[in-house]
Amino acid sequence: MTEDLSREIFGNLDDSSQKIFYALAFISCAIFTWGIWRRVKLWQRGRPDSQRIDWRAVFHNLCTRALAQRSLRATRPKASFAHRMLFWGFLALFIGTILVGIEHYGASIIGKKATEPLFHKGVYFVIYEITLDTFGLLMIGGAVWFALRRMRGDSSMEHRTADWLVLSSIIVLGVTGYLIEGLRIIREATPMPGISFVGYGCSKVFSSAGVNQGNVSSIHFGLWWFHSIIAFGFIAALPFCRLAHAIAAVFSLASSPRPLGQMEPVTMEEVEETGEIGVARLEQFTRSDLLRLDACVSCGRCEDMCPAHEAEKPLSPRSLVQDLRGHMEASSPGPLHGETIDAQTLWACTTCNACNDICPLGVRPADYITDLRRHLIGEGELRGAPAASLQKMQRAGNPWGLPAQDRLTWAKGLNVPTVQDNPGFDVLYWVGCSAAYDRRTMKVARAVAQLLQRAQVNFAVLGPEERCSGESARRMGDEFLFQELAAANIETFTRHNVKKIVTHCPHCLNSLWQDYPQFDGHYEVVHHTQFLGELVTAGKLKAATVMNENVTYHDPCYLARVNGITDAPRNLLPDNLKEMPRHGCQTACCGAGGGRMWFDDSATERIGSGRITEAFNTGAKTVAVSCPFCLTMMTDGIAAKDETVEVRDIAELMADENALKNSDAI
Amino acid sequence: MMKTLVLMEHDGTTLRPGSGSAIGFARELSEDITVLLLGKSLEVIATEAAQYAPVLTADHEALTATVADRWAHLIAEVAQDQNAELIVATSATWAKDIVGRAAGLLGGAMASEVIGHEIVNGELRLCRPMFAGAINATLVLEGSPKIITVCPSAYEAPEPTETPFPIEPVAIDASTLPSDTRFESLDCKIGARPDVTEARIVVSGGRAFKSSEDFEQHVGGLADQLGAAAGSSRALVDAGITPNSLQVGQTGKIVAPELYLALGISGAVQHLAGMKNSRVIAAINQDPDAPIFEFADYGLVGDVYEEVPRLTQELNSR
Amino acid sequence: MKIFVPCKRVPDPDQKLRLNADATDIDASALTFILNPFDAIAVEEALRIRETTHPEAEIIAVSISPPEGEADLRTALAMGADRALLIEHEGSIDPWNVARLLAAVIQKEQPSLVLMGKQAVDDDANQVGQSLAAQLGWPQATFASQIEFTDNGMRIHRETDLGIEIIHVVLPAVVTADLRLNEPRYASLPSILKAKKKPTEHITPTELGIKPEPRIRLLGMELVNSKRTCEKVTTATDLLIKLREAEVIE
Repeated sequence: MTEDLSREIFGNLDDSSQKIFYALAFISCAIFTWGIWRRVKLWQRGRPDSQRIDWRAVFHNLCTRALAQRSLRATRPKASFAHRMLFWGFLALFIGTILVGIEHYGASIIGKKATEPLFHKGVYFVIYEITLDTFGLLMIGGAVWFALRRMRGDSSMEHRTADWLVLSSIIVLGVTGYLIEGLRIIREATPMPGISFVGYGCSKVFSSAGVNQGNVSSIHFGLWWFHSIIAFGFIAALPFCRLAHAIAAVFSLASSPRPLGQMEPVTMEEVEETGEIGVARLEQFTRSDLLRLDACVSCGRCEDMCPAHEAEKPLSPRSLVQDLRGHMEASSPGPLHGETIDAQTLWACTTCNACNDICPLGVRPADYITDLRRHLIGEGELRGAPAASLQKMQRAGNPWGLPAQDRLTWAKGLNVPTVQDNPGFDVLYWVGCSAAYDRRTMKVARAVAQLLQRAQVNFAVLGPEERCSGESARRMGDEFLFQELAAANIETFTRHNVKKIVTHCPHCLNSLWQDYPQFDGHYEVVHHTQFLGELVTAGKLKAATVMNENVTYHDPCYLARVNGITDAPRNLLPDNLKEMPRHGCQTACCGAGGGRMWFDDSATERIGSGRITEAFNTGAKTVAVSCPFCLTMMTDGIAAKDETVEVRDIAELMADENALKNSDAI
Repeated sequence: MMKTLVLMEHDGTTLRPGSGSAIGFARELSEDITVLLLGKSLEVIATEAAQYAPVLTADHEALTATVADRWAHLIAEVAQDQNAELIVATSATWAKDIVGRAAGLLGGAMASEVIGHEIVNGELRLCRPMFAGAINATLVLEGSPKIITVCPSAYEAPEPTETPFPIEPVAIDASTLPSDTRFESLDCKIGARPDVTEARIVVSGGRAFKSSEDFEQHVGGLADQLGAAAGSSRALVDAGITPNSLQVGQTGKIVAPELYLALGISGAVQHLAGMKNSRVIAAINQDPDAPIFEFADYGLVGDVYEEVPRLTQELNSR
Repeated sequence: MKIFVPCKRVPDPDQKLRLNADATDIDASALTFILNPFDAIAVEEALRIRETTHPEAEIIAVSISPPEGEADLRTALAMGADRALLIEHEGSIDPWNVARLLAAVIQKEQPSLVLMGKQAVDDDANQVGQSLAAQLGWPQATFASQIEFTDNGMRIHRETDLGIEIIHVVLPAVVTADLRLNEPRYASLPSILKAKKKPTEHITPTELGIKPEPRIRLLGMELVNSKRTCEKVTTATDLLIKLREAEVIE
């Protein structure tokens, strides 16, 4: 009995109707294709991408990030849920329609009549009907939720009039689909109509309103054509409205994302050849960069996460991407720099990577910013204090222009071996500029060194041979300076046969780990919390797990978000750690990254003041940090709120725990 | 006995403070000293100068304004007429501008900002700072005349004598004077505090000061007492207590005065970067562990609200 | 219009200075060198003059240094100077002779404006500009904080102890730049790379017909305050005594 279960495709539609239908389908698809092609042409204006396509990764990415919608992550849970519903619902109906199309066309090729379906029957048909009716509800449900949210006027929306058309089209298509199904059930008296339960319900409503097999055909016909025209219009309009993001997103999500914290390499030979560096014109972005501009649906998650935006700087990652997109579409746009994008927007970024991390479409706003910064720096257009810091880095190898010979001041009285003293060292302790020259951070280095000595680690430091890692220079856009510094450091590392590096600075860590390999510097780099953690596990040191007062921990962006290290620091802290609302990979930036440390903001204007308030509000008496930038920013900020709250590096807390008395005196 | 010509700076009304140091230095090397004054209506100034040495006055309409090419031309002329072997002035922008040019006309044996000297085997050895005071160099000038400007704090002005020395006019033929430069105006700022980047002494205040009034009273008061500039750390600028123009530090102004007084400043590396080239750094801070003490020459542990008034009072009573 | 910008190669003031073995001079081999910051200001001003009032101006950077000084002259080229001249000379040279050499080149090149820093941050002499103007018989405007052109010359604001003085000089003239004249630009990366390829003309003093006749004989150098040892005092009075002893206050 069930083998006969089916429904007639194109029932109530004669041949000429079907021909018109297919003609319209063809036109609509043609317009769709043309629309997509127009966008592709825009993307083609960019320069070719350097990365080769890894097809296995593409498949994996499409399944996880696109299909399973994993890229939505945990933000905006309700909207993400609604989007999943809408997306899966739409996808199911889309696949369902294709299957029906295959059935119809396949059957007609073979020569079967409409009443002899190929596969659209029986158990398959039952599953099909139940599935589609269910997913149709999901789709409508999602769209309705979004429409309601839009009506509430949520400011993160960036509303456009066309958006109403999109949402209402989806809802109308969904609803009319059910209505048509209901009418079809009446017309064909389909057996077991309950499997199309929503349609069945509609048919019941229609029946009670007096629709029967006698008068149903014209209503069905009319509604069916209404639905088809809306559907064709929808398909044709898709590339021209916000839904274009879906097409671009497929490509965007399919490609494997570059790891956070990694930057596009560029050689000085290229710069000499072209006479340019970074992006001055849109065409200098790569093709996938431009494609990603279309993937952006302006949802604003990036803006919500942006610390500069929180501090009311003139930067919104979402607006940046949309402005670039507008520039890409414009027929005769003005200059990119100065008109479309203001320099102040670019300099406001701390490169915390929150926007890069959170975007569900794989857009990388911060990467656009560093590309554009490279051009500004390349043209010598950065002035004032930050430019002076770059100049000092170049001349003296540190951002304050202090003498290299002073790099061991922190180690006074500690007998810290240099690579000259101990050439057979196992691990290099990379001290960094902050601990070498800033009195407060020197205490962190002292704590680390003493912990290493207590645990009898065979380590050494570079001392005056250390130059700035160049991390902040690179993120400010000064590639030339960065490459100079990196080359010098790599030469030093090679000379001393450095293989493994431990550092207390996540920025140095990221640069040594992700930037330096681009210049043939390959080292095993660990954060001091990881290294100390191993020593604790081996029983050589005690962690600071018992503390009298409440402690909170501020995850550094470049440790937690960019490099995923969140457990190692926590293993060294008390279990009753008071977590801030934004913690772990969702941490909020202290404001010093991206070269912002060298800018001259007043206390009220500084990025990261929101984070400081958040730390303060935990009521903790100690704020634990594991980054010298965070240490500086948090110390300055918290002191202004409450001088009794201490900001200390985890190493310092551990040094106390392990009764290393010397840690303060220099 | 070296025939010495001493140039004394004046502002049209009186001799400038510090100009006496040139006499002090000259007297250590010679007894044959003549003062040369240039300008217009020099009677009063000449009388003042005549308390130290015989005076030559180049008093002429054409010299009303201190225009380098004219003044240097005349100085060179007088020096040659007088067969001067030594020309001395106190180092100041005036001297740098005019005496520097005169030296160019006279063979170029010039040393500026001299802070010390000694005579060894008949040879005059001069000591002057280089590299923003990081190095003291000892040198000898070859040739004649030797042109020297001295640092006013290095040489004391002598006491004026009871009986004045004679005053003689210098004959001036205005037609021979160069006329390519024209003085237009001078926006006189004597009385106002000097700029923090130019002053010889900078008195700088930090987080210890709680209000603009406190800052002005303590830091400003001490600065005025010393004729110094007032500076501030970033903390006060951030708190709105001092204006941005006073900020000393890596992102503010870089200064290198003779004396930097750090009052209630902790000494973070950013601030240090702005004043590390000061010749002498003295700090007052309540916290004995404040980093500033590592970078100072002299340190006083104490409350600035108590110590600064004491300093100001003592300087005042002198 | 030809603008001459004398540029001095000086040790980077941020580094720790080292003296040579017999303490007669700095140990150049151990130091990094840069373009004298005041001369960078002069280069910047010349560039601004070209960008605003004199688009046809040719800017020539001149230096007196050993051949390796080319690198620092290139900074001026990278900023935008058109040509560079290097007068080869080893060791130190006093202001009088610097001015003589510059004057000789100026006689050849005939610029109408010499724009240079007021002093070099190594010897802090503040003499070359004035000496050069004297030797050329040109008017001078020292410690310039603002420059504008008039019908027959330049109006210059000068920073002096007494305040801001405004003078007018006819061209050709020598102008020395003070700190507040401008903030020098950072050379663009492409032009830094391009400047590496721009040739620098080398000349010797002999070719200029000048034999340096030293006017200053350097006997020795001494590092001052190489390490500050904080002497603690207990009273304000004591502090004043110490400061007087150090001869920083009266």
